[in-house]
Amino acid sequence: MFLIMRYIAKLLKALASEASPAQIAGGIILGMIIGLTPLSSPHNLLILILILIFKVNFGMAILSFTVFSGIAYLADPLFHSFGVYLLELENMQQTWISMYKNEWWAFTNFYNTVVMGSFVSAVIISIPMFPLAKYGVMQYRKHIHAKVQKWKIVQSFKSTKLYTIYQTVNRVRG
Amino acid sequence: MRIWGIIVVLVVIGLGFGAAYFITDDMVEERIEYQASIINEAKVEVDGFVFSLFKLQLKWDRLQVTNPNKTMENTFETGDTEFQVEFWPLILANKVILNNMKVTGFELGTERETDGAFEGPEDEENTEPGFIYDVVNQVGKQAKQNAEISFTDARDDLNVDSLMAKVELQSPDKIDSLRQGIEKTYTKWDSTLTNTNVRKEIQQVEATVNGINPKEIKQPKQIVEAIENIQKLRNQVDSLKRRTEAMKTEFEQDYGTTRDELSQVDNWIQDDYQRALSVAKLPDLDAQNIGKALFGENLLGDYATYLEYAAMAREYGSRLLESEDSTDDIPRYEGIDYHFTDKYDLPGFWFKNIELSGRTKSDIEISGAVKGMSSNQKKTGEPVKFSVSGKDANGVKLSLGGELNYLGDSPRESFKLAYEDFALTNTRISGSDLLPYDLNSGRGCIRVNVNIIEKRLDSKIDYLAEDINFDFASAGQPKNRLENLVREAVGSTNRVDVTALIDNNEGPLRVRVRSNIDDLFMSALRQTVSRELENAKRKIEAEVQQRVEGRKEQLEDFKQQKEEEILKRYEELQAEVEEKIQLVDDKKKELEERKKELEDSLKDEVKDRIGIDFRK
Repeated sequence: MFLIMRYIAKLLKALASEASPAQIAGGIILGMIIGLTPLSSPHNLLILILILIFKVNFGMAILSFTVFSGIAYLADPLFHSFGVYLLELENMQQTWISMYKNEWWAFTNFYNTVVMGSFVSAVIISIPMFPLAKYGVMQYRKHIHAKVQKWKIVQSFKSTKLYTIYQTVNRVRG
Repeated sequence: MRIWGIIVVLVVIGLGFGAAYFITDDMVEERIEYQASIINEAKVEVDGFVFSLFKLQLKWDRLQVTNPNKTMENTFETGDTEFQVEFWPLILANKVILNNMKVTGFELGTERETDGAFEGPEDEENTEPGFIYDVVNQVGKQAKQNAEISFTDARDDLNVDSLMAKVELQSPDKIDSLRQGIEKTYTKWDSTLTNTNVRKEIQQVEATVNGINPKEIKQPKQIVEAIENIQKLRNQVDSLKRRTEAMKTEFEQDYGTTRDELSQVDNWIQDDYQRALSVAKLPDLDAQNIGKALFGENLLGDYATYLEYAAMAREYGSRLLESEDSTDDIPRYEGIDYHFTDKYDLPGFWFKNIELSGRTKSDIEISGAVKGMSSNQKKTGEPVKFSVSGKDANGVKLSLGGELNYLGDSPRESFKLAYEDFALTNTRISGSDLLPYDLNSGRGCIRVNVNIIEKRLDSKIDYLAEDINFDFASAGQPKNRLENLVREAVGSTNRVDVTALIDNNEGPLRVRVRSNIDDLFMSALRQTVSRELENAKRKIEAEVQQRVEGRKEQLEDFKQQKEEEILKRYEELQAEVEEKIQLVDDKKKELEERKKELEDSLKDEVKDRIGIDFRK
């Protein structure tokens, strides 16, 4: 329960933070790629470096990673089927063989059905997801944020001892 | 760009380098020693270990691999060794691939300063190497037996009684046991014939047949029924006949087995005789035995040592071999790897070339190479091949080559060893009491070829001693005529050429040893101990025959008597059945006749009444 509240609080905090909508959307996209693809895949190291280096919202990236990891757990069979389809594409065989022969490409584990299926899916989803997320953040800030703050549930939540403790902990942890 | 992000990345990279620096050689060394000790089942120790993570290079000053069977000895040890592991196979597939490994200071069978016993985690017993060790044991036994062959102990005054006390004849017990078997068979058949219900059924049939009186039957319908009933009785008697015949067949089979066992009695007696000869240590006087007696012990002793190394090679090989790729289902959601080429389909380890140099116990500097050592030859497509050779300051040459081929369904190993030009001065070429002389001079050469295919062994040892000169002077004057003849015979030759063939192609291990001096010895022995040997053998044979005399005949009589008794009872039963068959047939005939009478009378009656003659 505490964990869920924490995530909701983080989400609300991030949405209301000073971070630009593009930074938040970037965090969502990069966190999503890590979340949807197998965690130990080498490309995730690169994504992590991108998260650290570029000014994407770090909290949103973690939140996105957490949420999409859960989705990926359910969607892995679909990613596997999509990966099988891609890796068996007749026209791509020469490309795959060339890539497989190259150690750097082979290092990415692209030849694994789940890695291939989930990565390509994540990239495809990212294309509409980025502008949508950006637009969503802007709309939230413009129309929803003030209303949300007035919701009784938020008000009462903010007045709970739990929230006070959470705030204190957050302050102490910096 | 986020400055702190860049700093974090740099810090992480820095930590990576730091870890590489702080992961000390000692930590890696300890890990390698532990894992290798588990595989070896005895301590593997590495000294002066250096590991470079970035170059993936390993070096050590000394490696000791303890012999698990003798933990105060190393199977082998090496001096300075250096090799580099290929980067990508290690990263991509966790495969250890070495293109070139340089091993110096290689030595076999060195002594250890400390006990190399190691208690690792319990693992499943690997039964694969057992076969060659079995052969090593068998060869060891043969060598011992050959050492015990003595042609000079035959005496005319052989104490047969004390010899027979040691032999413990087995044929009397076996004959008694066979007699009990015959008794048991007799009791079984006696009971079968007594309790059979064939007799009871015969009596029932007889009573039924006698109860039918054709003359009393007046109606055609009744006679037809009676004929049908008698036919059923005929079938029943036929069935009884078949049952008695089956009984006879079974009985004959039972007694046939006993007859076969009876024919074994002579073999049992012969076995007792051979055992007595062996206890008396009386060999057969033939060239094959002379060859074994002269050179068997030495050659087979050496051969067992070489074979032990072959056993070790197979044992280590089987421990390191990886099992075939598992065909189990891939765990859910881990996906399937599409291997577009076989580029990374490598064995767990593959040492493509090992350059080896070192020395033997006899100080021969050796060098050579081992090629294609891997955990899965089917993946590398090449067997392990090794070739090592060297020469010492005195010109003694050693070469060892071979192949360990596990590409096919049956493992194949072949070894070739040549040890040439070694000095024979002050040595003996035979451990036999027939040739107890040192050599004043001479040079030797031994060549061993061993081929093993799964559990089939085929090997040849050639031993050549040239320019030899026996030191008869130190042995003093000949003690008997045999010694004199032997000295004359071997003194006339300066060359001994021995060939030993060892194989198990036809089942048990077979050892044949021949040399160019066998015939010389044969001739000397024929002129001397041959008569004593033959006399001693005759005495033993006579004693064995005496102790089992009459038992076989008694057993045969007993068996014949019991067999006749049963056969007689069977024949009585058979006669009864035949008699009843005849009785039934006679009754049937009577009924047929009565039927005809009734038919005729009926036809006469019809003719009388309506004038139609059905008898025409």
